[in-house]
Amino acid sequence: MSRKRHRPRAPAPAAGAAAPPAAAPATTTAVATAPEQPVFWFGFSVPYAKVVVTRVLLFSVLALDALLQIRHAPRYGAGGFNVAQLPGLDHLGPSRVGFGASELALAACFAFATLGVATRAALAIAAALYAWLYFGSQVDSYQHHYLVVLVLAIASFVPWQRPANATAATPIRSWALRLILVQLALLYLWAAISKLDGAWLDGRTLALQLGSASGTPVERLPAISRIVEHTVGWATAAKLVLVSEVALAATIWHRRSWWLAAPLGVAFHIGIAMTSLEIGLFAYIMIAAYALVIPDRVYLAAAPLVSRVGAPAGAAIARAVSRVPRGWPTAGVALVAALALGFACRLEDAGAIALVVAVVALAIGSRRARRGASPVPPALALLAATTLWFAVDHLSTVTVDYYRLWGGSSRRLGDRDDAVRAYTRLVDLEPDSAESHLHLGRALLDRDDGDDATAGVAELRLARAADPHDARPYVEEARWLARHGHRADALATARVGVAVDPHSKEAHAAIEALVSAGGDPAGPAGGDD
Amino acid sequence: MPRLFATWRGWVIAAVIALQVWLPLRYYLGTRDPHDERFAWRMFSPMRMARCRTTFADRGAPIALGGEFHEAWLELAQRGRFAVVEAMGAELCHRRSNAAITIAMDCTYLDQPAASFASGADGRMHASTPPADICGAD
Repeated sequence: MSRKRHRPRAPAPAAGAAAPPAAAPATTTAVATAPEQPVFWFGFSVPYAKVVVTRVLLFSVLALDALLQIRHAPRYGAGGFNVAQLPGLDHLGPSRVGFGASELALAACFAFATLGVATRAALAIAAALYAWLYFGSQVDSYQHHYLVVLVLAIASFVPWQRPANATAATPIRSWALRLILVQLALLYLWAAISKLDGAWLDGRTLALQLGSASGTPVERLPAISRIVEHTVGWATAAKLVLVSEVALAATIWHRRSWWLAAPLGVAFHIGIAMTSLEIGLFAYIMIAAYALVIPDRVYLAAAPLVSRVGAPAGAAIARAVSRVPRGWPTAGVALVAALALGFACRLEDAGAIALVVAVVALAIGSRRARRGASPVPPALALLAATTLWFAVDHLSTVTVDYYRLWGGSSRRLGDRDDAVRAYTRLVDLEPDSAESHLHLGRALLDRDDGDDATAGVAELRLARAADPHDARPYVEEARWLARHGHRADALATARVGVAVDPHSKEAHAAIEALVSAGGDPAGPAGGDD
Repeated sequence: MPRLFATWRGWVIAAVIALQVWLPLRYYLGTRDPHDERFAWRMFSPMRMARCRTTFADRGAPIALGGEFHEAWLELAQRGRFAVVEAMGAELCHRRSNAAITIAMDCTYLDQPAASFASGADGRMHASTPPADICGAD
């Protein structure tokens, strides 16, 4: 009968006095509760170790995902057009700049949450920002971003931070954690219902999305697709997906079936990660969320082991940390380092966003100092955030993609100034790239304002120097010459293009157009950006 | 009987669950736009494979959309999402003075026969009607 009762909203048992011994399972939900509130929700607890692992895994993946999204910023507000997810919000949707800045801020919020600094406030802000980005525009058609909005909103109510003197086994009670699991169960249920369709069950849908039926040559399919095609086939794979989703819907929310849900769910999402579906880090976000579903006894068994194995390293770190002053000078150094990284980051507006988050970190640090705590953690959280920005900027193609896509969409939509601005930045980032010089040269010749022609031709010549076998710089110059009445020069330039790349269709087309009765060689605008 | 609604937390729980039951259910109970699977958790469903050829015309002359809208919107139009197509039409009316914009959409599906839709004078997409000028719609 005790499972039908619940203690409404008392904090998790204080560590030490109320925490069960490490060896005792902290998994029981039958915590003494006040009458009249369902224990299913309000008696749900998990060991603190699980909360920490989930927090670190989930929010660090989300931080990385936020930064990787920045390459999509140029589509927001492009051409002054937007349709929001919700009626009436069309004019409130994010712009390119707003989207990029928000993703940087989101990554910072997730860095704070990962490190357990002002976690609930950081998650509430992240939920609001994420909701604005998602609901503000249908150009974001990823349903998993909708899921992230929901999970973040619910996660804002989870007590993520370490209670005083908590051990790995200290039970953390949270209705919000239960609600996240129920939300995931509902998602799997609806996803399964959507697949009760002949075109899914016979494997056609899956084959068209993942298999050679999509038009991708077999040798270019991901390994998992080739394995399916050479073994069970898409019809069986489709039925397995359906069965997995039904099983996950039935088990993920229920503690006693986590032994099944955890391996099944992780394997399911690893399978998705191995496909060619363009869903960003969604599969990894889900795998991180499954930290919540791994049975509590695994954490309780692992905690002493981790503690024993990690003890020497932990002691060394503790000694090193104890030698570092925990006051404002250290916080100041961390903040300055964080700002330096923020300003060194080539993502647009990174310096300004770093400055804003630094002010927030200072405010949090001051508040902590007034309460006698160290002001260093918020500064370190900011340092972690800007380090991640810097790493993503320099180790991924996000920044280059951002400027390339911005330039491409601006050019197609007729915004020549923005196209030149974006491609100029692209050339700054990739001074040795023939492609970048070609884009900038073409954009300058498109604009053809003042000294643009000279600069544009100079860029095309840099593109030729960087890739002597590419005919496109010659074709672009020939088109520009033809537009300005220099037909003979245009023809000669196009012929050089054919000489450097005899297979270039663009160069041959330009020559044909020039030869045929003074035709216009201006072919279709390059669509490779 | 435990009282879920005794605290605001209970209301939050109930609201989330109600929303997550109602929004997807709405799709199955009949929606104006069968291509719009947002909020229904129908990831990678057969409907996701629908392909629609959407044509915008101004007084019968087809409009090249590449220079008008970002390709992300064109992709959504190709997936047949009415709300996007209608907004694109309204935007074209706004951008072109004295325009008479009509929209025709021919869709093919994996799991059902092909279907055609067209703009009505109310500015919205309808099944199997001759395309009407949407620029007079409110």
